[in-house]
Amino acid sequence: MKNNLTSIAALAALAVTAHAGTAAADCTLPVGVVYPTSVDWGKPIAETTLWVADMINEAGGVDGCRVNAILRDTQVDPRVGVDAARALVDLDRVQLLIGAVASGVTIPILTSVAAPSGVMQISCCSSTTRLTEIAAEGGANGLFFRTFATSNVQALVAAMKAQEAGYETITILYKNDDWGQDLGSLAAAAFAGAGIEVKAQIAINDDQPSYRAEVTQALATRPEALYLALYPKEGIAVVREWISLGGTTEFIGTNSLKSDEFREAVGMQHLGNFIGTDSSTPRTGSATAFVDAYTAHFNAPPSGPGLPNAFDAAAISLLAYHAAGRDATGAQIAAKVPMVTDPAGEPIDGDVAGFARAMELLSAGQPVSYQGGTGAVTFDQYGDVSAPAVFWNFGADGAITEIQYITLEEVAAFGASIE
Amino acid sequence: MIGMISYLAFFSTMAAIFAIAVLGLNLHWGYTGLFNGGVVAFFGAGAYGTMILGGRADATVLGGFGLPFLVALAGGVVLAGMLAWIVGLLTVRLRHDYLAISTFGVAIAFESLTRNAEWLTGGARGLRGFPRPFEAAVGNNFVYGLLFLAFVLLVLVLVYIGLERLVRSPFGRALRAIREDETAARSLGKNPTRLRLTSFVIGSMIMGVAGGLYVSFYAFVSPQDLAPILTFQIWAMLIVGGAGNNRGAILGAFLIWAAWTASGFLLARHAPVAMQIYTGSIQYILIGSVIVGMLLWRPQGLLPERLETSAGPDRTRPAGTNTTATTNKGVT
Amino acid sequence: MIQHLVDGILTGSIISLGAIGLTLIMHMLRFANFSYAELLGIGAYSALVFDRLLAALIPFMHEKIGPLSLTWTLSVSVVLAMVVTGASAVVLDKLVFKRIRENAGPLSMVFASFGVALILRNIITLAFGHRAQLYSPDIAFAIVVSFDPLLLIKPDQVFVLGAALVLMLMLHVVLTRTTFGYSHRAVAENPDLAQVSGVRLSRMVVSVWVLGGGLSAAAGVFYGLTNQISPHLGHNFVLPVFAATIVGGIGSVYGAVLGGFIVGIASGLSLMILPSGYTPAMPFLIIIAVMLLRPHGLFGEELHR
Repeated sequence: MKNNLTSIAALAALAVTAHAGTAAADCTLPVGVVYPTSVDWGKPIAETTLWVADMINEAGGVDGCRVNAILRDTQVDPRVGVDAARALVDLDRVQLLIGAVASGVTIPILTSVAAPSGVMQISCCSSTTRLTEIAAEGGANGLFFRTFATSNVQALVAAMKAQEAGYETITILYKNDDWGQDLGSLAAAAFAGAGIEVKAQIAINDDQPSYRAEVTQALATRPEALYLALYPKEGIAVVREWISLGGTTEFIGTNSLKSDEFREAVGMQHLGNFIGTDSSTPRTGSATAFVDAYTAHFNAPPSGPGLPNAFDAAAISLLAYHAAGRDATGAQIAAKVPMVTDPAGEPIDGDVAGFARAMELLSAGQPVSYQGGTGAVTFDQYGDVSAPAVFWNFGADGAITEIQYITLEEVAAFGASIE
Repeated sequence: MIGMISYLAFFSTMAAIFAIAVLGLNLHWGYTGLFNGGVVAFFGAGAYGTMILGGRADATVLGGFGLPFLVALAGGVVLAGMLAWIVGLLTVRLRHDYLAISTFGVAIAFESLTRNAEWLTGGARGLRGFPRPFEAAVGNNFVYGLLFLAFVLLVLVLVYIGLERLVRSPFGRALRAIREDETAARSLGKNPTRLRLTSFVIGSMIMGVAGGLYVSFYAFVSPQDLAPILTFQIWAMLIVGGAGNNRGAILGAFLIWAAWTASGFLLARHAPVAMQIYTGSIQYILIGSVIVGMLLWRPQGLLPERLETSAGPDRTRPAGTNTTATTNKGVT
Repeated sequence: MIQHLVDGILTGSIISLGAIGLTLIMHMLRFANFSYAELLGIGAYSALVFDRLLAALIPFMHEKIGPLSLTWTLSVSVVLAMVVTGASAVVLDKLVFKRIRENAGPLSMVFASFGVALILRNIITLAFGHRAQLYSPDIAFAIVVSFDPLLLIKPDQVFVLGAALVLMLMLHVVLTRTTFGYSHRAVAENPDLAQVSGVRLSRMVVSVWVLGGGLSAAAGVFYGLTNQISPHLGHNFVLPVFAATIVGGIGSVYGAVLGGFIVGIASGLSLMILPSGYTPAMPFLIIIAVMLLRPHGLFGEELHR
């Protein structure tokens, strides 16, 4: 695979020199990357982003310019994130900000840096419905995009799965943050719509000395299944406690639990009935190609949450930058995004050869349909994506395995059926 | 060049906002000897109060009254004062360590409230869309940044002048009197509890001003803005600058905020990639060491308290540490 | 209801252990030590290191004892961790608190303890990473004590409760039957008088740190045994442990024990009235309630100025 990629890269490099005739070293374009590198799940997201920038450079760079991706840590702290974004915009003169993860950081960056400064911002992983509201009010000036679908998709397919499995009752445990509160209430609505009784919705706070009381409360509702909208850290504590108290092992979990840490700490013997949902990674050639390429590049499969989304966020924004030209402003880059994700355009893969081809077409003024780690992405008027969904589980060897693909149409139809 | 100025304006705005909060804390600790371990609660009350009153209407929350900026800010400050009054009634009579713990608890309880009371605060999703004051009138983002800085600096100067006058007034002298020797002050007819409560409320309202300015600048607030680390940072600014000296408090705010952002910048740029994941931890260790080091080697801060009365030139104790005879009966 | 009560007692025993040391230190050194709870973390992580070491050296001891997830190696490690943590507490005092005590007053100490807590927590993060760690990856199942009302108890928790009670009993004996105990009480009541009577104050301070460090280490390991350990372990206990100390009254060992159980039980029962989102605020509400109803704590001294 590695050899294969290298040869593709070599070919692509040849192709680029042949077609564009410019080398990527003539000039340098700064691009700001603000991700929480000091958090365990944030680091791979940042690395994926830098990897895309490398590939874009290999494919000829943005409008012939080498992309200089400047990475800054947000520490999941709004003050640190906003300061980093501000420094990138003011000192490094970036027109494109890629980030952040936590909505509590992404939103102030958008409202106090990106939107007022006219810089385009794209996030891999912020799922809150707040962002849609801000865009709907015109607070984003059309500069904001995200490759992560709002939590509604995950909530809908969780209800779909619960209905399929014939559960009549379910209890929801959600992380008590913006993401978890959103998902918890959306899932509750979806379950209720699907005729499943939600016995309880229990908030799980970060960093508590004990989750025993919360788990006991959940146990007392005696649900047939448990819905887990948690991160691995508290998920491990809660699920271990739940299992040790003899709770059911019928779990439906969110994409955040796609984690080796979670699997190892809970143990495969208890996760046989675990079904995960994810809003993305559809069964397309491009999604598989992403997994293969990622595995080859990092010598490990993409097991953390948000990695294909981070890949696509970087790729789409950099391709749009290319289409807009090296001197483009944030607004001009944002205006080119639909050209990169045009369903009528030529399908483009997320690799060096694909990027080179895309740049060639975009330079010629032709739209392309980028097919990335999360499939063929399209943004709506608020910069949101509608994504298809998948079910996944921990396979026999413990590896995270996709078990069923639900198309966009199926998700929408199910959503309509329960309203 | 413009970028540099723009960033410096941004940096100074943030530092000035923190400086205002540090001035409030200085009134508590530097001049009154009250250990407020929950700065972020009063900062947060000002922030949320301003946002609820001045924010955009929203069907899902109670607030969003869209009041004019200054009215909303004043409302936030009053809210911070009210919170301080209630907390103060319960706690200012307490020995310093109880006060430290209960105010620390207030901050956690306040954060918990903002995280869970979705009908009021939007829950963890936060409150959005506060229109940045006068932004539309200015138009130009660069000019706006400078104007906002000017406004914040004006507030900072006003707070500074107000506090300087306050601490030189009879009220201020009475505060220092109870800080140094409560029994003696009481014998002179001062009411320590009432004086402390007044000081506590005023200082908290100043923190509320800082919170209100902060959300106006960010146009967004969420419980993530109220992490306990903010209390620690504001304390660090005061300790480094010099408790009991308002100029020291301002200097400390600028220095610590500069050190914080610069260390993040340098670590992000120069630390090996494998270490990147730990930059946050390294920064915390650095800042913690600065605090402990200051307390060990220069406990009076960079700009020590200028004492016009009583103490001799050889005085090395930091302000406010020598609260009462009773609290010092332990091992010293 | 019954389940919440029982759970509260089991969690409470860990809080109690943590609060005993804090109450002694707060009483003797007169400052709210925000770094104290980090000793739980130091204890838990040093036990982890010893456990891994011993398991590699003498693998046959790495076996579970009866129905517990506690192994022989871990039980040896607990003792070693108590020693290490006690020693680190003394070192911390020598490096930081002693020097600040000599130069400045108790309020500087409070703030220094904030700084020390931050440093300790992040050194642990640097050394062991952000990930949560487990002494044993297997899940120990609870035993159904009764079906109606449903009551489940884990053997580990019963062990923890028992071990905590044994430690407390040992402490009780030490405090009431030994010269050390008498000296300690003398110092706490009146340091000047005690010194005149020939008690070496500095030695007493060291012994209190050792004692507090040791008990915290035990609390940290017991917590890790029934839950998991992460760099935030100590931080998560700051407020509960303070609450227990204040409920009991500063300086009262028995008050701290009782306070721990009260905080544990109240946190469990609180879910019956408050949504679980508010649990972090619970210890604070307990503190406020105590200050309104019984300002001295249950067994404490005057807490007003």
